[in-house]
Amino acid sequence: MADKSKVGTQYPPIVWEVERGKIKEMVRAIGDDNPIFQDKQAAIAEGYQDSPASPTFLTVPAMWSAGLASIVMDLNINVAMVLHGEEEYEYYQEIYPGDIITGSTKVLDIEEKTTRSGSKMDLVTTEIIYQNQRGEKVARAKTVIVERK
Amino acid sequence: MAHEIYFEEIDVGYDMPTLVKGPIQKLQHVMYAGASGDFNPLHVDDDFAKAVGMPDGVIAHGMLIMGFVGQAITAWVPKKNLKKFGVRFAGMTKPGNTITVSGKVIEKNQDNGLNLITCEVIAQDENGDVKVSGSFQAALPSKVQKS
Repeated sequence: MADKSKVGTQYPPIVWEVERGKIKEMVRAIGDDNPIFQDKQAAIAEGYQDSPASPTFLTVPAMWSAGLASIVMDLNINVAMVLHGEEEYEYYQEIYPGDIITGSTKVLDIEEKTTRSGSKMDLVTTEIIYQNQRGEKVARAKTVIVERK
Repeated sequence: MAHEIYFEEIDVGYDMPTLVKGPIQKLQHVMYAGASGDFNPLHVDDDFAKAVGMPDGVIAHGMLIMGFVGQAITAWVPKKNLKKFGVRFAGMTKPGNTITVSGKVIEKNQDNGLNLITCEVIAQDENGDVKVSGSFQAALPSKVQKS
């Protein structure tokens, strides 16, 4: 089960350069044809500085940095039993191509729950607050990972 | 594409435009794995998925379905107005599922100079099974000039 003594732990920061191509690749994978995410001029016409990152883009730095995998190991979580329970974003500013965003994962809570059917699971809540290269807070990502037992 | 919508135009109970996605193909799982960096074989390798207890093989990334919900939201409310977006992953999505995203305004309030709407959102398959449920908050422009 998840190691409860790790609540409050903060991990080394993720540093991620946001590429225009990755913003496009994400919306193409989703099948989101909103032109603001792929066409800089369309985005400017709608009041953006450039093509903004889409609402769920922040999964990219979290997954590609292998941050999540190392945290799962550090917390002694059984990867085969992991499910994604919840994901929540708060947006403070747009993220644009060329931005370098930085954020470190913090373990907010580890809680054991019993489902109605009687099986037990641990809920691990983590938070990453991202800043850009100007030190401005851009977003907060809160994730709940479920470890079935 | 999202056109400007105003705080005064949107009342509690307003239904956001629905978005229908799919039927989902395994190819989309592969595209999403590559784009997001989530290479868990549960999403792309049928033999692996069956070995860990998925009788029909691979399941979609939960974040892909959250991505559909994000698409539905930002097709209606401009991305720049979106302040908060959160979901709970309620069920597994399989290849062949068609996902419908819908939502409704549940609250309107003014806070700290912002005109906020809160909407609940839900993604369901063709049988009505819930895959993702959650909510989002957006700050909308007002038609009324501030003094």
